[in-house]
Amino acid sequence: MSSSPQAFNEVLPEGLEGHEPTSLWRDAFDRLKANKLAVFGFIIVVVLLLVAILGPFITPYDFLSQDLSQRNQSSSAAHLLGTDDLGRDVLSRVIYGARTATIVAFSVTAVSLLIGVSLGAIAGYSGGRVDSAIVWIIDLTMSIPILLLAVVINVSLKTPVTYWMDDMYLKTHNPIYRETIWVDFALVFGALALIMWPPYARLIRGQILSIRNENYVLAARALGFSNRRILFRHILPNGLGPVIVLASAGLGQAMILESAFSFLGIGVRPPIPSWGNMISDGLRVWRNYPHLLAAPAVVLGIITVAFSFLGDGLNDALNPKGWR
Amino acid sequence: MKRDPNATLIKVRSLTKHFPVRLGAYGQHKATVYALDDVSFNIFRGETLGLVGESGCGKTTVGLSILQLHRPSRGEVWYEEIDLTKLKEADLRPLRQKLQIVFQDPYSTLNPRMTVGAAIAEPMSVHRRCEKQQIQERVERLMDDTGLPMRYGNRYPHEFSGGQRQRICIARALACDPEFIVCDEPVSALDVSIQAQISNLLKDLQEKYNLTYLFIAHDLAVVKYISSRIAVMYLGKLAELAPRDMLFEHPLHPYTQALLSAVPVPNPKEERSRQQALLEGDVPSSISPPKGCRFHPRCPLAFEPCSDAVPDWREVDNNHWIACHAVK
Repeated sequence: MSSSPQAFNEVLPEGLEGHEPTSLWRDAFDRLKANKLAVFGFIIVVVLLLVAILGPFITPYDFLSQDLSQRNQSSSAAHLLGTDDLGRDVLSRVIYGARTATIVAFSVTAVSLLIGVSLGAIAGYSGGRVDSAIVWIIDLTMSIPILLLAVVINVSLKTPVTYWMDDMYLKTHNPIYRETIWVDFALVFGALALIMWPPYARLIRGQILSIRNENYVLAARALGFSNRRILFRHILPNGLGPVIVLASAGLGQAMILESAFSFLGIGVRPPIPSWGNMISDGLRVWRNYPHLLAAPAVVLGIITVAFSFLGDGLNDALNPKGWR
Repeated sequence: MKRDPNATLIKVRSLTKHFPVRLGAYGQHKATVYALDDVSFNIFRGETLGLVGESGCGKTTVGLSILQLHRPSRGEVWYEEIDLTKLKEADLRPLRQKLQIVFQDPYSTLNPRMTVGAAIAEPMSVHRRCEKQQIQERVERLMDDTGLPMRYGNRYPHEFSGGQRQRICIARALACDPEFIVCDEPVSALDVSIQAQISNLLKDLQEKYNLTYLFIAHDLAVVKYISSRIAVMYLGKLAELAPRDMLFEHPLHPYTQALLSAVPVPNPKEERSRQQALLEGDVPSSISPPKGCRFHPRCPLAFEPCSDAVPDWREVDNNHWIACHAVK
């Protein structure tokens, strides 16, 4: 054998010795940590998640319990954010609103990610007619106005479904059919999930179209790997960066949409607390009781900004060279 | 099973690859790129066949078509008793272990999200080359063979330099015990000092693992150093194929002569006085290659039949193949 191992040592890059191995994910995390705004956003989002998960354990009062002797009170030791017109504790309701917003945002984003990434990956990797068909479905779905769809579902599907559930309850006496509130919820936000996926599909399709021409994919083919392995081990992990960024922005967007729908009365309906319907209630009395409007509005604002900072930070961290 | 050391390992017959393309701002004109036309040659077990030619003459297409990474438009590629062109992708996969490739650009041929060790281990586990427990050991042996310190197994490709990455690519290609490796300009993206290291490494590995190479390059010095036989390509066709020394001492084809005389001599006195057979004009487009002999518009020896008849690919001497009307 020749002296090649020695030859290698001559060309060792400076400083590689004693350094921790760094994966690209690790590098991205380090860059994210260096971005103060992104860290701020990240902390807010984590706090939001903790509050949402721990909701029932940290609320001082039940969100439904009314105390008509304590109506419309402003901030006090007993009620940190005061009480509303039925004497319910506003802090407890804001915390439950976080729960509602989180459930909606995560389920909507998860479903759209699932649909979007699978369809986009199939389109990008198979190409040809399959690709054209999926792109057509994407275009079709993107042409549906979200708000209009929500309104249409609200006026057309809710009533028949509610009647149907009442019928079923009379026939079977299964308590599941009493939960009409949650069905409303599922209808509107399920529809939302079904039309929020196209951006993910388009993004991942584009990523795959460019990555599948990369030389390491050709190398993987030359090594005799199966299509599935190439797609899942070599193409997708390299195309997920932008999808993560888009999903973090999508979470924030879904929260705002939830509030917007609830504000308009087509999303979450009282008595389930949502920031949207709290803002809507607060708006009616804000001259006399501004805290009823301020509490949910300020929280919603902070969360929106936090998701935006986090998304920007992720974008910079996952793609230092910039893909826009 | 004993094998004849000089047996033919790869037999290429009339290999042709045409790429359909669309030209014009809106892709309104259909055209064909004649990347590779009617190329035939053998590669013997244990040898290094060098393949030289200018940029865009189809060298890489030959390599990719042999491995069926491009499906050839016509022709046959025999690996031992199997015609690879007739196989479906799924049937090819197990054979791909035996037929490997090292690419030109080591920066883009490694998955950036896989550690070096994982990249070298992947072919072994996919093709079940050995027991799970042995994989780590084999990865270390391959890294040692290719001059990579073992402690770098858990590092990522972006932490390495070009030459080191090329070593990783070579180790990965070796992981599935190949018999034949297409080296597609494996050193031309590297610094000159590193080129020598990698060329030597390839030579050592060939001896150690009984490898057969198709070594594609445009640098005649590198090809001369590493090859036992050399094929010269021009515009999608083979011009000449001969054992190394014969080709360098007695080039027959006018294109080979011009190519060899273009190499500068590292002696200023000799360099000033020597005769150069300079070619006129440019390489024609492979979308509309010249009729007859593709070299005839630039050929100093061109005469009447050259512009009409495609010259036969014939053996003029023992193991010396040429496609030229002017050479008797």
